[in-house]
Amino acid sequence: MTVIELIHVTKCFNAGKLNQLTAVQDVSCAIETQRVTVLKGPSGSGKTTLLTLIGCMARPTSGRIMMRGFGTASVPGWEEAEEVEITSLPERFLTGIRRTTFGFIFQHFSLVRGITVLENVMLPAYPTGEGHGAIRTRALELLEMFSITRHASARVDLLSGGEIQRVAIARALINNPSIIIADEPTAHLDSRLSQEFMAIIGSLKSEGKTILIASHDPLVYDSPLADTVVEMRDGRFTDIGTAT
Amino acid sequence: MNRFLERHRNIIDFALSSLLRRKAKNISLLLVYTLIVFMVASTIFFMQALKREAALVLKEAPDIVVQRMIAGRHDLISVSYGEKIGAIRGVGEVRPRLWGYYYDPVNGVNYTLMAPFSQQPAAGSIIIGSGVARISRLSKGDFMVLRNFDGRPTLLKVERILPYSSELIAADLIIMTESDFRTFFAFPEGHATDLALTVGNRNEFTTIAAKIVQQFPDTRPILKSEILRTYDSVFDWRGGMVVVMLGVAGLSFLIFAWDKATGLSAEERKEIGILKSIGWETADVLLLKSWEGVIISLSAFLSGVILAYCHVFFFSAPLFAHALKGWAVLYPQFRLTPVINAYQLAVLFFLTVVPYSAATIIPSWWTATVDPDAAMRS
Repeated sequence: MTVIELIHVTKCFNAGKLNQLTAVQDVSCAIETQRVTVLKGPSGSGKTTLLTLIGCMARPTSGRIMMRGFGTASVPGWEEAEEVEITSLPERFLTGIRRTTFGFIFQHFSLVRGITVLENVMLPAYPTGEGHGAIRTRALELLEMFSITRHASARVDLLSGGEIQRVAIARALINNPSIIIADEPTAHLDSRLSQEFMAIIGSLKSEGKTILIASHDPLVYDSPLADTVVEMRDGRFTDIGTAT
Repeated sequence: MNRFLERHRNIIDFALSSLLRRKAKNISLLLVYTLIVFMVASTIFFMQALKREAALVLKEAPDIVVQRMIAGRHDLISVSYGEKIGAIRGVGEVRPRLWGYYYDPVNGVNYTLMAPFSQQPAAGSIIIGSGVARISRLSKGDFMVLRNFDGRPTLLKVERILPYSSELIAADLIIMTESDFRTFFAFPEGHATDLALTVGNRNEFTTIAAKIVQQFPDTRPILKSEILRTYDSVFDWRGGMVVVMLGVAGLSFLIFAWDKATGLSAEERKEIGILKSIGWETADVLLLKSWEGVIISLSAFLSGVILAYCHVFFFSAPLFAHALKGWAVLYPQFRLTPVINAYQLAVLFFLTVVPYSAATIIPSWWTATVDPDAAMRS
């Protein structure tokens, strides 16, 4: 089933100015549920921008993004199964969808420095109004799942690269999202940690999560876990195919 | 409702963590902020308490005091004036008062000498204020030597020392009999320092004062309300001077706080981007930043006010009492009764908590309203 559909999506930065940059140009595609889709391509090809558009972090300059089945309950008046055009929604609805549907793993993991591992994992759930105790219990379960419970009260600044990566994944999962978006997750990891990351992705896939990864790491796009690999260059799709 | 409270609780929790991350910056800010609130609140508490003390004591003051003037200066008044003033309709009792000043060259202070109509000491004895007793190291039964009008020493026995509670206005007081007073100063018989009038109807004060001036153009009636107003003005003026001085300190603080609060670092901007990208709304970010501002400013406000309360009401404002009390040398020592003016405290609250909180929120709002990816990339 298609959960997200992009229809002629274009994203320009500094539109109308001398330094105008078209990061994504007339892209159309469909993202299937419970599958791993990998966007591959060199730096500057528009992978990250496309992920931010899909993840409701930015709006396209033109085109439409449709969403089905997930997150639409955040928008009053829509049923779960209904199709919603997310591009025209006000910011607070986009935030609602982003919070309930997507879990983000960023290139540099983007953890908040100076606070503990546990607090970092709990952060996305704070504004939901869920009880502090319940959030904490769930966060500890996730830390347990990724074998980093012993670091729960440690500041993230003191963790190793692999531990930071696992904290970032735990944080992405705190609101139990249906779709995981990962932007160059292995860019700063060695091969062992990259393989460890892909193993986690495998287990998330088996749990029924839909996964979108932007990467130019062969360990990711050549992985047997990748159901669909989309190649991008200069903001356009150059090839859409099933991974070998 | 529960979700609403939980959301606030979670965000406050994170706000506290956030503040603790920048310990040095926030603690220094809190200390300076607290100091400013402490100084301003101390001034407010002190002025209010003094005014209240003075008002309470002056409640017993005569309704009208009549002085005689010669060439614009206060002169002795003939007791016969009193008899005629007493005949004016509406005037109750007329009491001639005897009082004057004595400079003590040994201690370098002025005493107020007076001869009351009631509760006079025995002849040759005096009742003294606790300030006089303190500076002259006198206790009950001791003898005090004062030089009379022609410079000869007069020995007076201390019969009693006035209680501590009356110190605000009686610190420098020496009470003696009328005859001792007249002998000591060579004060002419049939004359008094001024006349104290009681008037039944307070609405008639100004009418009676006008009649007195009409009958005796060489007199000056002073109404009780004028005395109270003068005290108020003097205390307000002193308080105002301190506030002006504090204003300079406050302005420096404002610049300091503005710099600290408004300048979002690249790290803070990135954090806002992270929060937005993981599902925080602009409103959540603003709530976080406003809680941070409120925690700092409210803590400073409460600590400053509590410290000021202890400083003024438990320790009698040792830091700037001398500047505010205004007694030349013989400072009264007394513990003030706690008085809190809610209006002034509310003004102080709005002048300290609100501007700082606003200064914290505005730059965060600028950052938080952009798309999360833009905030992160910046």
